[in-house]
Amino acid sequence: MAPKLPPQPPLQHNTTAVADGQSHGHAAPPKGILRWLLTTNHKEIGSLYLIFSLTMFFIGGIFALVVRAELFQPGLQLVEPEFFNQMTTMHGLIMVFAAVMPAFTGLANWMIPLQIGAPDMALPRLNNFSFWLLPVSFTLLLSTLLMPGGGPNFGWTFYAPLSTNFAPPSTTFFILALHIAGISSILGAINIIATILNMRAPGMRLMDMPLFVWTWLITAFLLIAVMPVLAGVITMMLMDINFGTSFFDAAGGGDPVLFQHLFWFFGHPEVYIMILPAFGIVSAIIPTFARKPLFGYASMVYATAAIALLSFLVWAHHMFIVGLPLVAELFFMYSTMLIAVPTGVKVFNWVTTLFRGSISFESPMLFALAFVVLFTIGGFSGLMLAIAPADFQYHDTYFVVAHFHYVLVPGAIFAIMAGVYYWLPKWTGHYPNEKLAQWHFWFSIIGVNLTFFPMHFAGLAGMPRRIPDYALQFADFNLLSSIGAFFFGASQLLFVLGVILCVRGGKKAPAKAWEGAEDLEWTVPSPAPLHTFETPPVFHRTSH
Amino acid sequence: MRSRWWLMAVSLAASGSQAQTNGWNMPVGVTDVSSDIYGLHMTIFWICVVIGLVVFGAMFYSLFRYRHSKGAKAAHFHEHTSVEVLWTAIPILILVGMAVPATATLKNMYDSSDAELDVMITGQQWRWRYEYLGEDVAFTSNMSTPRTQISGEETRGEHYLLEVDEPLVLPINRKVRFLMTSDDVIHSWWVPDLAVKQDTIPGFINENWVKINEPGIYRGQCAELCGIDHGFMPVVVRAVEEEEFDSWLAERKEAAEQEAMGVDREWAMDELVERGESVYQSICSSCHQAEGQGSPPAFPALANNEQLINDVDWHLDKVVNGVSGAAMPAFRSTLNPVEIAAVVTYTRNAWGNDTGDVVQPSAVAELIAQ
Amino acid sequence: MWSVVKSVLAALLGVQSNQKREEDFSSGRPAAYLVTGMVITLLFVLMLIFLAMFAAR
Repeated sequence: MAPKLPPQPPLQHNTTAVADGQSHGHAAPPKGILRWLLTTNHKEIGSLYLIFSLTMFFIGGIFALVVRAELFQPGLQLVEPEFFNQMTTMHGLIMVFAAVMPAFTGLANWMIPLQIGAPDMALPRLNNFSFWLLPVSFTLLLSTLLMPGGGPNFGWTFYAPLSTNFAPPSTTFFILALHIAGISSILGAINIIATILNMRAPGMRLMDMPLFVWTWLITAFLLIAVMPVLAGVITMMLMDINFGTSFFDAAGGGDPVLFQHLFWFFGHPEVYIMILPAFGIVSAIIPTFARKPLFGYASMVYATAAIALLSFLVWAHHMFIVGLPLVAELFFMYSTMLIAVPTGVKVFNWVTTLFRGSISFESPMLFALAFVVLFTIGGFSGLMLAIAPADFQYHDTYFVVAHFHYVLVPGAIFAIMAGVYYWLPKWTGHYPNEKLAQWHFWFSIIGVNLTFFPMHFAGLAGMPRRIPDYALQFADFNLLSSIGAFFFGASQLLFVLGVILCVRGGKKAPAKAWEGAEDLEWTVPSPAPLHTFETPPVFHRTSH
Repeated sequence: MRSRWWLMAVSLAASGSQAQTNGWNMPVGVTDVSSDIYGLHMTIFWICVVIGLVVFGAMFYSLFRYRHSKGAKAAHFHEHTSVEVLWTAIPILILVGMAVPATATLKNMYDSSDAELDVMITGQQWRWRYEYLGEDVAFTSNMSTPRTQISGEETRGEHYLLEVDEPLVLPINRKVRFLMTSDDVIHSWWVPDLAVKQDTIPGFINENWVKINEPGIYRGQCAELCGIDHGFMPVVVRAVEEEEFDSWLAERKEAAEQEAMGVDREWAMDELVERGESVYQSICSSCHQAEGQGSPPAFPALANNEQLINDVDWHLDKVVNGVSGAAMPAFRSTLNPVEIAAVVTYTRNAWGNDTGDVVQPSAVAELIAQ
Repeated sequence: MWSVVKSVLAALLGVQSNQKREEDFSSGRPAAYLVTGMVITLLFVLMLIFLAMFAAR
């Protein structure tokens, strides 16, 4: 990554991008559905990703509500354990692979070219292909619920041999669906790296890029590194199920624990894939509404890189109770505890950015601030989980469920919502209805805490995760969680309403929609026209 | 958020030593290891609380003090190397301070040497099998909560879902080593009060150990998703005084010997049916249901099952050797010949399966020996 | 050489003055930083492994 670039003039990319099926003067795009099927425009593809993600967020959410409804009180009332397991599994898979990841890719599609002054993504046709793989993949995945024997019922971590020798016949389709989603992610990541490294505005060096771009660059490398590992492990499952191999079957000389090593070597970087871009979004929003530059830009970049690096060294902390040798337990305990350091650096940076700022509380800022607090709480429980001896008690309980929902819901998802409220004026040309957004925020924050905070107690008191029915002493916590979950779920309808209203109209937004916003996207008109930066902007170094 | 932390801190301080029974914190437990773990848990928790108070305190102070609406003017400072070094160094020191006691506890947990008793724990969908190694005593432990309580037709008892037909009996004050494995998928044997949670993995043997300080009944559950009845696979440990344990073990040993001798004698149909019914209810009914109606397609009905009724050898073979590729396990090593003969006889003569067949334990023993 | 190592260590901790960073970016060769970074990462992992082995004894 040559530091002393004069970056290549992006003009040539510009022409290739535009030449895709369109003449130079932007001939009218095809009408109707074909326009969306064939589009190579980063803004349209970004919107497709976001709409897809929002749809899947609701589907995954309904699955979660089925789970919470069954757990509302002790006993089996609504669903059979078999279907309950399918719901927990599908909820996890859909939320991880079809809601959170595509949402970040959608934001990347929309914002990375705008933030680095590029006319489009580097590989527009590939971009179209990566998106359209997703509906294929997840239609296939969801269709397994209707197949004889039901859909995947072995948890989103699909541990062998429950997911191989003991799995329903539809598992082969589940594997295929995950392969397709994985290809989509890898192609998307390649595109993002190519865009960031080649198409920055003249004068913009790597260390001048907005943090959202930086975090996505690092995330994209993580994706390319670990998605093939996932592909490998599910292919081994496929072989075990259909072709008589015994990778994970001890009876044939295989090792069920090998599955977990491979899965978590993918899985731990995967959880950072879902949080690093969130760091980038929050690092854009907090300085904007504190009207003060980010305290430590460089240390934020370094901390992100350090977290990404460490993510390859900690996978077995998910496996403290599978019977690892003592040395391995210690190694993974130490390396996991170390992650607290760069993560702490990030939180301290955000807080110091607020210090002596000039702070206003518009909806993007509210979500970003809630992110900082609640993500940190999730970080605290993460630190507790890192203590290997204590993990013997925490492991596979609701304490873990509380932990990862704190980092994913008020973590990743709040950051996505913050980003949406932040950039909606740029996308639509209108401010979102602030009053509605505030209601959405306060309902969400009450719902999220009511749902997930009691889970800490349920877990510590001894409630294992993934059970359809529970002992009577856990009843109160579950009652609260279920009420909270329905409240949270219902309040997300306000989000949809807010977005729809904003698309249809509202207060007109100027090019620079927020007073303190600095990055390049705020130099193009609102709404951003279909084609932007056809001649590269001249980048003026600000105060990073 | 700050107020929440305060609330928690205050109520925690107030509850103090009752944490063991209050039902919303980790139990202190009844072993030295479990109280060490509890100590680590509370230490790291309070560290988090203090850091949280400092960080969120600074954050909320800034949010309140530097409001744009109150005319705050933004300063423009950024980057300050010594502050950054400080906030990197302090967490590292805290972590090292935490890692030292954690390492000591972990080493202790991994030292299962000098055990006075070895117990083999085998996870099976969805029950536990306990074997006192070298003592010829073994039995399976199934959830005893009736299905009618789960469905709500009957009032739920005090130990709903956490009660078993035969608990694992262990002596106090003796170091007991657990050897853990599984017959099918991965399970995880967990009793919070003993601070033992360990995966049982098919084809592999894990070790753990416990030395219980107080007699009592300690309840836990399977902690690793293991299929449909994962939620209905409780663990109950009855810890008793040493002498009581010794006499209990001797009694069980004698009973096991008697049963072994029973293989050779001729059993009457009534005896077998009576014995078989209890085996069926504890082992088979979780899948094939109480009245043999099954729940197809995964679990075929046994009542009025033509193939079963017509072919006694086929029936016996499925019980002894299992069905490969399906949920039906092989019971050749987990049930003894008397139990297998009894349960086969019972299922061939219950719920309208009036075959009149009697399968003798000696025939089963012969089949297993082949 | 020493300045490269210092910069990489500072990056690992996430502390570096802006001035020093400007220097690095205008004078150093990127390959040197990449190689040093990888070597130091490897050393870091080895150090952790030895620490764990030492602690486990």
